[in-house]
Amino acid sequence: MASYHGNTRSGAPEIEQIITVIFAGCLHIILESRCPYVSFPKHSSEQILSFPFPSPSSSPSPPSSCSSSSIGLRDKWFKLAHRDCPAALENIGFSHQSNLEPMIVDVILVKRSGNWDLVNYSPKRGYARNLSGKEWYRCSSENDEFGCEIESEKIIERWVVQYESKQSGDNGGGVMGSNRATCKSSHELYKKSILLLRSLYATVRLLPAYKVFRDLISSAQIRAYNLGHRVSSFVEPFTSREEADMQSFVFPPLDTSCGRLCLSVVYFSSELDIISEPSTPISPQVIHEYVGSPMVEPLKRFTAVPVSQCSPSSSPFGRRHSWSYDLYRVSPSSVNPSPSPTYSESCASMPKQLSHRFPPASLRHHIPNETPPAHMKDPNFHEYWPSPTFSPSSSPSPSPPAYNPDSHILKALFGSESAPFGLSVSRLSPLASMPKNQLLPPSPSMGTCGHRVAKTDGYAGLYPTGSMVDKLFASAKEEAGKLSGVKQSSNSSSMKSFSRSPSRFSFQDNFDDSEFSGLLIPDDDDLPESSTRPDAAALFHLLEKAPPLRPDISITTNLVQDSKPVIEEISPESLLGESASLNFSSSEIESSKTTADAFTELVEYKKMKELLLKQCKGTQA
Amino acid sequence: MNCEVCQLNELEVEHFEIREVLRCILHTILFHRALGLVRPKDVDLELFEITYVQCGDVEVERKIDEKIDQFIDRVEKHPKKKNQICLSFYEVKNKQATWFTNKVEHLYWEQWYINLNVMQHPKTPSGKSHHSKLVVDPGVEAGGARRVALEASLRDVLFQIIKFVNEKKDHVPSIPNLEGFLFPYEITISRCT
Repeated sequence: MASYHGNTRSGAPEIEQIITVIFAGCLHIILESRCPYVSFPKHSSEQILSFPFPSPSSSPSPPSSCSSSSIGLRDKWFKLAHRDCPAALENIGFSHQSNLEPMIVDVILVKRSGNWDLVNYSPKRGYARNLSGKEWYRCSSENDEFGCEIESEKIIERWVVQYESKQSGDNGGGVMGSNRATCKSSHELYKKSILLLRSLYATVRLLPAYKVFRDLISSAQIRAYNLGHRVSSFVEPFTSREEADMQSFVFPPLDTSCGRLCLSVVYFSSELDIISEPSTPISPQVIHEYVGSPMVEPLKRFTAVPVSQCSPSSSPFGRRHSWSYDLYRVSPSSVNPSPSPTYSESCASMPKQLSHRFPPASLRHHIPNETPPAHMKDPNFHEYWPSPTFSPSSSPSPSPPAYNPDSHILKALFGSESAPFGLSVSRLSPLASMPKNQLLPPSPSMGTCGHRVAKTDGYAGLYPTGSMVDKLFASAKEEAGKLSGVKQSSNSSSMKSFSRSPSRFSFQDNFDDSEFSGLLIPDDDDLPESSTRPDAAALFHLLEKAPPLRPDISITTNLVQDSKPVIEEISPESLLGESASLNFSSSEIESSKTTADAFTELVEYKKMKELLLKQCKGTQA
Repeated sequence: MNCEVCQLNELEVEHFEIREVLRCILHTILFHRALGLVRPKDVDLELFEITYVQCGDVEVERKIDEKIDQFIDRVEKHPKKKNQICLSFYEVKNKQATWFTNKVEHLYWEQWYINLNVMQHPKTPSGKSHHSKLVVDPGVEAGGARRVALEASLRDVLFQIIKFVNEKKDHVPSIPNLEGFLFPYEITISRCT
């Protein structure tokens, strides 16, 4: 048989025509299930006209009526009505010039890197031609269609469609020899080509790359990879190492009177081989500048609640209230001697009388023998004391904490930081961890305080630390007998101390200000065995002299001097009515205290703290 | 014309897997024998990571489901026996209509035998709950491995179908003789010998 020369052959034009269509059909089926393109509208006539399907008029089996649409024509050629594939339409005109040239379709896994510009996404399809002019491929430039840099490309499938013509002198032996009956008629060839394409259609869906394709087209998730393709006539063969990882499937060849059509595929056998890493959305980012963070609102940081110093695991808070470290023992690292303007704002809500109204004496009376829980060591606890105008209730049965609707105001004042307080709420706030029915005084303020502690992390640091608080209130233990005891959970040493000073706690609750609660609950660990009353008296005296923080605080200095009778007289209801807990305006805060005043207090309390520390050490010695 | 017979590899399946496995195999075979104009329909198996192709005809789908139901009934009635589904393609020959009968001869040109080994779980008495625990708990991991193996086996069976379809094409009747889009076929359930 004469050697084949181009598409035109004598004696087998129909066969050649069918072979040409088979090439196109194979390309269409392969790219349809490997190319995640958006389908072109069917009425795009340009693509239709470019589709090189020959007229079916001379074909044996295809319908005699020629459809005006090439898409319909293609469907009728192989009886397979499947969706359009723009990629195939784009490639078919370029890639295959002759039936004798193999058509190699590489399915490429493209891994992206860099930012994905989905907003400005536009498919960037380009075609380049190699030097030989025989290879057309979809441009895999530095950026893919998303405008992202391509990190790597990996051929995950290689389809080879090749038509080998019968060489002259070949009597059926050798390569072309086979026991198969050759397609001597175009009818036979057409029938077998339909079967071949049916098999190809099913096969492309059984290979692992199909799952990758489906993931790309169906998932809304941004993937770190994409599928590309390359249609060429010549490619570099795989290395032995690559071939070792791949499997192949060879379709039984389709013999014709003029040659043999071979279809084969080499692919990675496992999807895991294809995708080495799972697709991930945008990498998680740690947001440092969240609302209320120290970075965004540095001023508020001053008012943030520091972690209690009683626990080594507690996260050190940036700033502490000036109240705190004067009274309680704090770690030097956490001391922030420079008050911020925010302090004046935050503390403005606090009654100015607080500074000298701090009720160590009263607590002395009411919480005689209790060691405050560890969480109460936080020196900044008192700054969250919303309303000083309350008195401890004498009710033996504490009421569950009531919700304080103004807690949000506290948050606004003192920051809503979710700062890493090392202590849990339970540790920091006995109120939060205690059973509701065991909470002290039935005053709403009491409950409010406790609840507030539970709700906001800001309260974590409200509890003062240090032995000075212990001293302050230890002497009041005996006099706090009227206040109901507070049952404390025994799961922490801090809580144990609390149980010993129920009245102290109740007094705190009656004040219904977190800033007081810390003051009122001494540190358990630091509570010396013998606290001296004169030291506490000195402290209170000093507090007395301190200017009030808030003008509307109804608690007078009488509370400090003789807290017991005063406390007993003040009713929770009156405190509630006067203070309205957190119903203070920012203007009041601003007017009540200035930064300078706060700084002055800071210095004073610092001195007081040092004094108490020395006394404590001397006592212990 | 020779009748080509293809014995597909045996698959060990659980009772609840019968329907999906049979649907996959039967539709794949029929898709390759529906040489008329079809609109292929991709179907994803729920139990396996396999996508097979249906020819998209509602009547074919109904007929297949009906036969699968019959197979499942037979399996339930005779759990200890192996059953087999046979998909046969035939040509209608010699239609002879008489006064009393309407003889229609079916000339089979291809037969596919689908062999399923339906696993039976031992039924444990209600009182021996501890024994059932011993049976179930270790089987969790074994079940997963079995499922993976079955998926691979099913994929092999599908490739077996594709190979057979492409290796032997000469016995397939010519398309001009095709009435409709699909060669006449029938599905029978028989007992394995």
